[in-house]
Amino acid sequence: MNRRDFITGVAAAGLALRFGPRAFAGQAASMGPLPALAAVEGESPAAITREAIAVLGGMGKFVGKGDKVVIKPNIGWDRTPEMAACTNPEVVKTLVELVLAAGAKKAIVIDNTTNQAKRCYVRSGIQEAVKQAGGDMLFVDDYRIKKMALKGEWLKEWDILLDVVEADKLINVPIAKHHSLCRLTLGAKNWLGATGGARNQFHQSLDKTVVDLSAFFKPQLTVLDAYRILVRNGPQGGRVSDTELRKTVIAGTDPVAVDAFGASLFAVETRELPYLAMARDRGLGEFDLEKVRIEKRKI
Amino acid sequence: MASQAIFFGLFLYLFLGAHYTGEDYIGSTVQRFFHFDPLLALVTIVSARLVYAYFAFALITVVATVLFGRVFCGWICPLGAVHQASSFVFKRTKFLKPPREDKTSLAPKYYILIIILVGALLGLDLAGYLDPLSFLTRSLALAVLPAMAQALSGLGGALYGLGAAGLARTLSQALQNWTINTTFIQGFSVGLFFLGAIALNARKERFWCRYLCPTGALLGLLSRWNLLKLKIDDEKCIKCGLCTQHCETQAHPYPNDQWKSGECIYCLNCASICPTAAIGFPMSARLEKLTNVSNVNLSRRKLLVTTLFGLVAAPFFRLSPPRKRAPLKLIRPPGALAEDKFLAKCVKCGQCMRACPTGGLQPVLTEAGPEGVYTPKLVPRIGYCEYYCSLCTQVCPTGAIKKQTIEAKNKLKIGSAWVNKSRCIPYVLGKPCIVCEEHCPVSPKAIKLVEYEATLPDGTTAVQKAPVIDLDLCTGCGICENKCPVMDDPAIFVTSVGETRSETNRLLLDISGGTSPDPYK
Repeated sequence: MNRRDFITGVAAAGLALRFGPRAFAGQAASMGPLPALAAVEGESPAAITREAIAVLGGMGKFVGKGDKVVIKPNIGWDRTPEMAACTNPEVVKTLVELVLAAGAKKAIVIDNTTNQAKRCYVRSGIQEAVKQAGGDMLFVDDYRIKKMALKGEWLKEWDILLDVVEADKLINVPIAKHHSLCRLTLGAKNWLGATGGARNQFHQSLDKTVVDLSAFFKPQLTVLDAYRILVRNGPQGGRVSDTELRKTVIAGTDPVAVDAFGASLFAVETRELPYLAMARDRGLGEFDLEKVRIEKRKI
Repeated sequence: MASQAIFFGLFLYLFLGAHYTGEDYIGSTVQRFFHFDPLLALVTIVSARLVYAYFAFALITVVATVLFGRVFCGWICPLGAVHQASSFVFKRTKFLKPPREDKTSLAPKYYILIIILVGALLGLDLAGYLDPLSFLTRSLALAVLPAMAQALSGLGGALYGLGAAGLARTLSQALQNWTINTTFIQGFSVGLFFLGAIALNARKERFWCRYLCPTGALLGLLSRWNLLKLKIDDEKCIKCGLCTQHCETQAHPYPNDQWKSGECIYCLNCASICPTAAIGFPMSARLEKLTNVSNVNLSRRKLLVTTLFGLVAAPFFRLSPPRKRAPLKLIRPPGALAEDKFLAKCVKCGQCMRACPTGGLQPVLTEAGPEGVYTPKLVPRIGYCEYYCSLCTQVCPTGAIKKQTIEAKNKLKIGSAWVNKSRCIPYVLGKPCIVCEEHCPVSPKAIKLVEYEATLPDGTTAVQKAPVIDLDLCTGCGICENKCPVMDDPAIFVTSVGETRSETNRLLLDISGGTSPDPYK
């Protein structure tokens, strides 16, 4: 990527964002017979991820040949997978494999971590998993963070990871966790890891922040890892007893619906998560699961 | 010389390995060089009155020196290699023109050694300031490597700006993978001292080794009767004096009977520069006349005066308050011994600061009193103690920070966190925050949230979740202080009180939550 490509990319992204909220949201939403959301339960994180994507019509629906795809898991913490603080490495690995099999030129995995980056990448198991699958694991470089216009209701502009916005296709891969401020951290809050700057100031209006960020990064696909969920002491836990096995992966083209489904795993009412309603009002998706085409499977 | 290059390379390789490589346990080889250093061994054992088994390696150096002289200085010492290389450059660039004969006194290093040894007897560990391994490691860790990393990072930025994005990326990613800390409170002065030590070579070849190095002095004392004796073949010698002029350490090869075996580092410059190849080092058990070997003029009176000087000066180090009462911000690394033993064992090498993955370990300037300069402390505003990391305890060469498994380390308190309610966002602004709570790594969390009703300037009230600390659970890791959004003076902060290693710096008798006050006993 040279500077010219970058400027064109940013300009294109800006234009796309300006004209219509759906411009980035992928094709699948408009395809009648396919569900907008797939929830698959099963023993193997890899198999249920594969199945969930298949239910949505396969990775080929979302990723084209030669695409540069960014996969954004939660790698925020220096914690092993059984602590359920970071996205399950098998889920990430499977997505990298699917993306590359769909003809993508590159599958880049990146997160702006909270603990020291290398420790998070290693202990989460994600670095090793991505390497095995042939993806590229990237550390966040300072010079690749740029203040960008978000045109949000709360965040007008913020420092954003260029590697994420420059992607041809974007897949959000959060993990479902307890959080003491926004109750649950699911897909929408995962975008904090695609920002730089003084992120600790977001908390003064966290619901508005996550909605503004969700409106800015529009992923083609959201894959919520609920294989093992964190039910207390979030967002990093620290004991296996803080987690519960749910052996589920929820994939969807509607990020709001994915989060709403995630909330149901914690028996949290959607109205307890104000950001879901705010996101719906902004046209980002639907949180009333009655209105969403969902396909549940058990394998 | 090849041997020096090999050992310097080995030293650098081990030094660079002392960081988060991706492994939780990196083994003890990274600090092995230190264990061969007889000065560090002697001084830490004497000053702390504790034997540290790894220092058995120093006996190898002692035996080698007794048998073959200061080969350590000339063939192995990595700082010696730096000095020799820079001397060579200064000579080549004519900054340095060695005189025909140099009569400068070689005694200062012996005086330095005496003061260090007297200090050790009184429980002071001063060896680390001028010991070559400590000095070099500290300089590299706190100044040279960080400066190089910053320069490379700047280069990466420039490459990126010039359109070489791929190259810039490779460089910046590699830098992150090497986990090099680039922020050090005293990086500037440590760097200047290092440059200063190198610049001295423009005055005299191997200035440090000749006049300053206490380790060299100790080895010199051990090597006076070694087996490798310089021998000039009188029939070949043309008395040109080149050998004496180009002797790196002023050991005075010519005339033969003035050669000082305690100063010779066996660089073999004399032998190679001799136009008639008259100089050799045959094995010889013959005893030198004492006048020859000790013609570094160390009279008994001078030795006595230096010793007295040391005896009088050592107590000065103890006049500062840290000995009386633990300083607020002196947060020692986890596993650090109780303060008196820690000060007696720490050789100020900075290896722990190199290894710290967050860069939170910083050199002390004043907090620990004059004997604590360059010892490590955690500065949470720069970096915090990473929960699953015990690297600093693994790389300490002297056991001043006792080796810890991650599980054991997480049972140690290094301090306690406090909330400053007059600065904390929910308490003052009535706005949500909880950043400290979400970062607290222990489970259950040491930071609890309570509903707090803040009165705002306009008289209205706002209820928010506000942090309260459970001191029994807090380990003092400092991540709360590090991540607090109140940037200048964080509204939550860690102080040293409650640290497991101290029996006096406590708040409540049972603040450690059941762990014994000293887990090493």
